[in-house]
Amino acid sequence: MTRSSWRTAVGVLLTGVMLFPVYWMVNVSLTPPGELRKSPPDLVPTNPTFDGYARVLDEQLPYFGTSLLVALGTVALTLALAAPAAYSLAKLRPRGRRPLTFVLLVAQMIPGIIMALGLYGIYVELGITNTVWGLVFADSTIAVPFAVLILTSFMSSVPDEVVQAARIDGAGAWRTFRSVVLPASRNGVVTAGLFAFLWAWSDFVFAATLDSGGSMQPLTLGIYRYIGNNNQEWNAIMATAVVASVPATALLVLAQRFVAAGITSGAVKD
Amino acid sequence: MTRPPFSRRLTLALVAAGLCLTACSSAGDAGGDPAGPFAVWDPYPQFDGTSEWVKVIERCGAEAGVRVERQAYDTSDLTNKVLLAAQQGVAPNVLVVDNPVVSTLAEGGVLKANEDVGLDASAASPNLLAAGEVAGKAYGVPIGANTLALYYNKAVLAQAGVDPASLTDWASLDAALAKVVAAGKKGITFSAIGTEEGSFQFLPWFWGAGAELTDLASPRAVAAVELWKSWLDRRYAPNSVIGNTQTTSWQEFATGEYAFAENGTWQLGNAGELGFEYGVIPIPSRDGGVAPAPTGGEFVTVPVQGSADREATAAKIAGCLTGADTVLATDTALTYVSAIGSVREQQVAAKPELAVWVDAVQAAKGRTGDGLGTRYPRISQPLWTAVQEVLTGSKPASGALADAQRAAASAK
Amino acid sequence: MARRTLVGWAFLAPLVAYLLLCYGYPLLTTIDLSVRDYTVRTFVHGGAPVVGLANYTAVFADPVFRTALLNTLVFTAASLVFQYTTGLALAVFFSRHFRLSATLRALFLVPWLLPLIVSASTWAWMFNSEAGVVNAALAWFGLDAVHWLTSPDWALVSVIAANVWIGIPFNLVVLYSGLRNIPAEVHEASALDGASAWQSFRHVTFPMLRPVSAVTLLLGLVYTLKVFDLVWIMTRGGPGGASTTLATWSYELGFGSMLPRFGPSAAVGNVLILLAVVAGLVYVRVQRHQEAS
Repeated sequence: MTRSSWRTAVGVLLTGVMLFPVYWMVNVSLTPPGELRKSPPDLVPTNPTFDGYARVLDEQLPYFGTSLLVALGTVALTLALAAPAAYSLAKLRPRGRRPLTFVLLVAQMIPGIIMALGLYGIYVELGITNTVWGLVFADSTIAVPFAVLILTSFMSSVPDEVVQAARIDGAGAWRTFRSVVLPASRNGVVTAGLFAFLWAWSDFVFAATLDSGGSMQPLTLGIYRYIGNNNQEWNAIMATAVVASVPATALLVLAQRFVAAGITSGAVKD
Repeated sequence: MTRPPFSRRLTLALVAAGLCLTACSSAGDAGGDPAGPFAVWDPYPQFDGTSEWVKVIERCGAEAGVRVERQAYDTSDLTNKVLLAAQQGVAPNVLVVDNPVVSTLAEGGVLKANEDVGLDASAASPNLLAAGEVAGKAYGVPIGANTLALYYNKAVLAQAGVDPASLTDWASLDAALAKVVAAGKKGITFSAIGTEEGSFQFLPWFWGAGAELTDLASPRAVAAVELWKSWLDRRYAPNSVIGNTQTTSWQEFATGEYAFAENGTWQLGNAGELGFEYGVIPIPSRDGGVAPAPTGGEFVTVPVQGSADREATAAKIAGCLTGADTVLATDTALTYVSAIGSVREQQVAAKPELAVWVDAVQAAKGRTGDGLGTRYPRISQPLWTAVQEVLTGSKPASGALADAQRAAASAK
Repeated sequence: MARRTLVGWAFLAPLVAYLLLCYGYPLLTTIDLSVRDYTVRTFVHGGAPVVGLANYTAVFADPVFRTALLNTLVFTAASLVFQYTTGLALAVFFSRHFRLSATLRALFLVPWLLPLIVSASTWAWMFNSEAGVVNAALAWFGLDAVHWLTSPDWALVSVIAANVWIGIPFNLVVLYSGLRNIPAEVHEASALDGASAWQSFRHVTFPMLRPVSAVTLLLGLVYTLKVFDLVWIMTRGGPGGASTTLATWSYELGFGSMLPRFGPSAAVGNVLILLAVVAGLVYVRVQRHQEAS
């Protein structure tokens, strides 16, 4: 057994342990209602039911599209706001920037429901409740402070010499940012984008407050069709979660391939 | 950047498409617009546009001569959503809302009283209407009601030699549980979770012992908590009841292992799919007879909308939604017992097994009744906390309830 | 210098405008809520009287406050320690390329894709004292069942376990990206010097990872302090208040019963914000120290 395949074996094992709750969710999605609380539980669904999946494919597809749009829109907006700001904080370091870090932290601490409460008033005034881009804007509030902080710490680790070399070559601040610092912090950009996507994908509070009417609702609200007043259809709820995580997982696997090593040295050669 | 330009262009295109799509489909939020359609909000997200309920709403709108736009919210979200919308002056025109919330909204000046908009609630039973009465005025009309009773598994009881007809007081129920457990089956499951659901499930035992919500520390109240505690101690009930919602509790009953489950009218639809034969008996009170159970179910109400005309039209829609000739279909879809006597008779005629539920609803009382109104939430929270403390063994029944009474009395 | 400041602020301008627009109003709302005596009527129609710090003193005097504060500290500290160490160990493990490494790493993120109501419910399911898979496993080893969510001794432990699980992907991804950003030459140099893997990690990798570690822990702290839906779904802060944190208490006061108490709810929320500000102060000091050295 080579060293690398030994690592693969351990990796698969660790992933298995980590994903056991996800497996359990799949298991529940296939368990007929009468056996949900069987004691002891069945480790594999012995007589699986596919009712949950049939309902999901029948009823939930439009919600997927909305969620995807909202999540991608949030990624774009978050990066557009956070990357230039992080560049400034990390490399230009203008006077008076320190309080900003604070503001960003405090901003993160405002409970989602209070944010939603505040935004709701503004949204009603502007008439942008129940729109995708209204939700994109709201969801970005979860991700922007995070993205600024994380990108700042990544851009800080780009050596100052590299930035100065670009300057000497006659590049302005904007060109230095676009062609040197941004590519050198690609890992940070992917990370920030990834989390912006994930937050937007799983957001419920904003969706419930700002986008719960109309025809463009995200998946987290779609699930609520199965959570009635006194009654919850767990097959369908879990099946929705399973189906929802498939395209998103594919996206994650794809994004992870962009996290690369040795970027800093690569950028110098460019 | 080594990111392929293609994926970037694709992202941009997708986002742009999204922006355009939504710009074109953006819908108005609610009933603020004086000329706009009438907004109807309800807590029934399980019903989509093709359901009978939505057709009823549209028919009632057409009868009142206006266009209606219906929106469904998760029930726990609806109250917040209504408060926010009312604050912004965009409350819906017709609101269907859980009955114990009605007094809160009415006292907050969100709802119009029935007499002020010409909404007639006289057909509904007085014990159900009580939940919507604040300071002598009635708000809204119940669309139907549900309540709690004991479901039992016929095979389990037969195997243990228990006759369900004999279960008329706590002593006979206790004896039946002993027999069931001795026969190797599980006793009873219910929900004692630390939320309103827990109080809802506890109240039939609390009221059935003769206790009153105005005195949580009475010996009768102590007896009710001790009944539940003794079931846990003797393994008649599983420890999981402390965290059970009513749904979880139903799932436990659905395994076929349990003799009894305390659950509501709304489970009748699922009960048909149990895979074993079940029966229903009313919850017995301590010394015999049917214990009063709390009523559940929603009220159709008319929120304040700043225009007497629109409020009157909204009242017409609300009256139509709860009228004797339309409400039968709605109550059947929701598996509710109707609030109107004549409709209840039709329901029992069509489905005789509903009779026990009709009796239970007639014996039931509203949580916010007895003049408690918005004091009820202040009492309910210490009550469910005390029940949990006793069941986990962290406090004795008398001490926990004395603390609860103190908390309830001092709460504003 | 002045020009650089100008250019610097030009890059910051969109963010500053955004912050004012999106956070200014909500922040004012929560402060305003916490210094007024709101009822449902005054919430809807306005005119709630200003009561100064009365909501705060009421909250501090409430016996729940002590429990909630203590639970919050335990919950946050335990979650951070386990999330960070597990995340770092996994990041180091995955930093070597091996077959399937990128795919497995991505799979670690799947927990994040699940709506919280689903993942929290799944954990509650697994921890169920009657029909949960955890107790079934204990029984298989001949051990007694534990009342994971329904015993006051275990409820907090159980929600911490679930929260650590949810937090691992975040720590893994950020720390992994940080590790990958350390130039390969550094590792090569220390390997040439004959350093063992552990020495190289302790003296080279770990110090170079410090800025990313600091920001990971700081953000982890901020997110953990405000975790509420997970606890709420799994235990409702119970049984009997045993797993109540400041965040769940704030929610419970504001939205947990049928009669909302916005003032005290916002006051508890602001106590949380204060805790985060203290953490931020520590962070800025550490950062200044690093920039100086």
